Parts: sequence; structure tokens; C-alpha cells
Amino acid sequence: MVYTTRQIGAKNTLDYKVYIEEDGKPISAFHDIPLYADKENNIFNMIVEIPRWTNAKLEINKEQPLNPIIQDTKKGKLRFVRNCFPHHGYIHNYGALPQTWEDPNEAHPETKAVGDDDPIDVLEIGEAIAYTGEIKQVKALGIMALLDEGETDWKVVAIDVRDPLAPKMNDIEDVEKYFPGLLKATNEWFRIYKIPDGKPENQFAFSGEAKNKKYALDIIKETHESWKKLIEGKSADSKGISLVSTTLKDVPTFSTAVGESIPAAHVLADAPIDKSIDKWFFISGSA
Amino acid sequence: MLGSTSLPLKRFIFSRSLSSKAILPDFKTISQGSKYSPDFKQYLRMPNGNTGSFFHDVPLGLNTENSTVNMVVEIPRWSNAKFEISKETKLNPIIQDTKKGKLRFVNNIFPFKGYMHNYGAIPQTWEDPTTEEFEGLGLKGDNDPLDCCEIGSKVLNMGDIKKVKILGSLGLIDDGELDWKIIVIDIRDPIADKINTLVDVDKNMPNLLHHTREWFRNYKVPQGKPKNEFAFNENYLDVKETISIIQKCNHSWNKLISGKGLNSFKAKPETQRTSDNTKEMDNIQPSSPVPAETKIWHYV
Repeated sequence: MVYTTRQIGAKNTLDYKVYIEEDGKPISAFHDIPLYADKENNIFNMIVEIPRWTNAKLEINKEQPLNPIIQDTKKGKLRFVRNCFPHHGYIHNYGALPQTWEDPNEAHPETKAVGDDDPIDVLEIGEAIAYTGEIKQVKALGIMALLDEGETDWKVVAIDVRDPLAPKMNDIEDVEKYFPGLLKATNEWFRIYKIPDGKPENQFAFSGEAKNKKYALDIIKETHESWKKLIEGKSADSKGISLVSTTLKDVPTFSTAVGESIPAAHVLADAPIDKSIDKWFFISGSA
Repeated sequence: MLGSTSLPLKRFIFSRSLSSKAILPDFKTISQGSKYSPDFKQYLRMPNGNTGSFFHDVPLGLNTENSTVNMVVEIPRWSNAKFEISKETKLNPIIQDTKKGKLRFVNNIFPFKGYMHNYGAIPQTWEDPTTEEFEGLGLKGDNDPLDCCEIGSKVLNMGDIKKVKILGSLGLIDDGELDWKIIVIDIRDPIADKINTLVDVDKNMPNLLHHTREWFRNYKVPQGKPKNEFAFNENYLDVKETISIIQKCNHSWNKLISGKGLNSFKAKPETQRTSDNTKEMDNIQPSSPVPAETKIWHYV
């Protein structure tokens, strides 16, 4: 499968959109990329939303047809994560697994919190900096259960299969071995990242411990099942999510016409980011 | 640690009254070549339009009462390219340092991206490599202007000239040479009024000083070098001691400019200063790509 991106507008503006294309035709980033790149070996497709060391909160949009990646807004303003010392922007290549959904209608038996209504998030830890809309094949290594404003928000820890260290990375303990300090930094990052915006510290379930690969695979499977219910129109409440698919012929929302209505690529140079985003916030008790 | 109850208030009034008008002459820069290539140069443009030297023609501007001094910004925070005032090039433009013919980029030392401060130099200072700076240390200077680390909230630009508040210093021993790192903050930073000592830094920017020391300890490890060491049992020196280091290095710079007693010293920096005959022109080219190496993280 050859995936490409179709960019419309300038990065760091409200117009910016990135659609995923398959063989040049727009597909849904949420629904049309298979979750498994190699099911037998548990290799997943990952959609990169946010490259490491950047601040713009880019994410798959649930409501728009074909779910392009756009920059999240808050009160009409573009959202950027703040830099919390010693970190600079996101510390992983951040993205999501397609064909998964954290069902907001159901509480997880262990975290006791409902899903956050999004595809499951992935933290890709490989050495390369990814780009927005990149489809990576990743190995899942473990998972952390962030409780973000009261919702379960799983974070799958994964590595690009092409990373030089990937052959040695097989479970969560390998992360500490080859990336010492990264899980601790990850835990801290997600706990404090909304504090500069005046929000309280987030919590992790399981005392902040990262669960192992087996646990991660089970959670991914569960979220994949939730997505199946969603795309088949069998979910209790689909929360206004656009379920249009250009490749899944058996789902009620299959449509090839929608692809034709997506504008042609129109790449503009990145807009400048407001200087205030350069500020480093020092959160006491961190670092 | 330096401190008296009346001093912070005085500083407060001083910096507030300054912020309404220009605090430095109108220095600009002249850029040539392609950034991240060996031909890149950024010169100082004097207020009268002549080309000057960042090393010799920007005034030191030391004010011992307010603990302020001038800084030339070489490297913006979070970037990797090792730009520095060239000692060897006439009029001392900022160029990218090379090692064995290759352009130098610092590695990203987890959890940091590039340099963790706005990094630069204090003009009209020289760490004298021909004598031992401090009796008993047995260390010579590194033949450069004093380095400084600006810790304010903004990312500064290469070639910026800033009036900064002196907060303390760390005696890095880098590859066996004494290489002071002066900790400073832009006097126009929103929190500069609250920051007068390293105690204030610890209070307002917890762990910054700890991480600063660790960063300098480890930053050459990915290139196969040993960890760096520090003089003074790794302690930071206070404002008063730091001012005296700046004064000493300014005296050394005076010696450098006069050339007295330096006849046998082979690696003497270029000391030509601005004149009506020095006129470099802008000729900037598109930037060159940065190597992939600057995009990976090293876990030390």
C-alpha cells in the first residue's frame, strides 16, 4: 500500500488540513488504513499527527468527512502545547492507531473511567523525527493509562520497525534498557502538560506504571472491537463522528463520491508560530 | 551568596526606567553565505554603517552596581549548530565552528533538544590561555571570549546584542581548559526583575541550574569524549565573584588588544577593529540542510 499526504493550506493556520491518500485517492485517516500492517507479528500502522519536538496540537479530526489531520482549537484559537522544562514540545512522535476507538459509552473495568472518544494514541520513540500524516509501521512495546480530565486515554508505547534499535525492542523493559529515563519523562510530561493552561495535574492509572506488551495488545484489540461497532453503526452513541469510508465496501457509510469532493493539494509555506510559544514553563516538583 | 536587602529594589527601579528607551546603540548584523555551510558569516554592523567586530567593538558595558553586562547571542536555545565568534577571521564574524574540517553541531542530550540556553559571549573579554586565571587551579583559559548562558523566556536570535543581568557562573573544565559559563538573564525578560541571584533562579526555575551542570558535563559524551569536570567542587560562583571574573577577563582582553607580552603566543586572535575601511555587504543564500545526526536523541 502506498500512502501519501494531501496538504491544504499553511501549517499553523486554521486552514491547514492533511488528508491521507491511498494510490493518490483520499481515504479516511480514521477508518481506511488497516490497523494491522502484519497481524501475525503484531505490527501496526500508525498515523503520525505531531512530530517530536514540536508544539502544534495536530490531530485527526473526527467530524469532517475523511477525518483529515487539522490543528485543534480552543475558543477559536490554534492550540499549541506549552514547553514544560526540561522538555521542548512533544517528546515523542505522537499519533494514533487507525481503526481503533476509545468508546466514551463504556468505562474500562480497571481504570474505571470511560474512553476519551478518540482513536488510541501512540507514542513512537524511534530516533527519526516523523512528519504529519506519515504512516509508520510500529511494534507495540507497552501501554500507559493516562486519566486525562477524568477519561481513560491510553498511550501505546511503540517503535518504528525501521528504527536501528527496533530488532532489540520487544517489550516494555527494553524501553528502560535502551532509552533510560524516557518512561519517567513520559509519565511526567503527561502529568504536567496542561498545568501551564491552568488545568490540574493529570493522573495515571496503575500508579503510573507502564503495562507490558501483552497488556497493550489486548487493549488495542478492545479498541479495535469498539471501532468495529462504531463503523458498523452499532455503537450506542457515535458522538457525531464522520464514519465515511472510501475503502470499506461493507459498511453503511461507504462512499467513493466523498473522495471526489476533497480539494486538490494546495501547499503553502508554514505560518510563523507566535513567539509566546517559546516560553519554558517551570512546574515545581517536575524534572 | 551575594545579597543585601536594599540592592534588589534599586535594581528594580533601574531596569524599569531603562525599558522605556533604547538601552544599547543600534547594532545590526550583516549575513553572508548559506547557513549551515562553511562559507556562512555574520558580521556586526556598527550604528554608523561600518562593519565591526563582535569581539572587540561591542562595549563590555559592565555595570557593577546593577550587575549588568552586554552579551552577543551566538546560538538560539533549542538549536544545534555551534555558531561562534571567529577568533581567526578578520573582524571576528560569527561562523559555524568546525572540527577536523566538519561543521560542528551539538548532540541532543536526553531530555534536551540542542542547547538549553540562549548561548553567547561577553564582548571585550578574553580567557587568557597564556596564564593561569585563578591561582591554585592550574588551568589556563580557552583563548575565547567568556561564554554566557541566557536563561530568559524568549528564544533569542544569532547576532542579538543584549544587556543582561549577571547571576553567577560555573567553572567548566572543557577538554582540560578553564571555560567559564556565566549565567545571565536578559534585563527585558518579563521575570528579570525577580531574578537577582542564583537563589532566585532556583526558586523561579527549579532544576535549571542542576540540569545546566549536567548538560555541560555530558554534552561531548556522544562523540566519545569523557564527561567534563568542574572547578570549585562543581559549585556555582555568586554574582560578586562572577563580576570579578568578568573584570579579570576584560583586563586580559586589554592585554590582547595591546599585544603586550604576547609576542611568543602563536594562536593570538585577530584584533582588527572597526574603521571607515571596513564595509562588508549582505549576501545571504538559502540555508543548507542540517545533518540527520542533529535529529536524534542521545541517552547518556
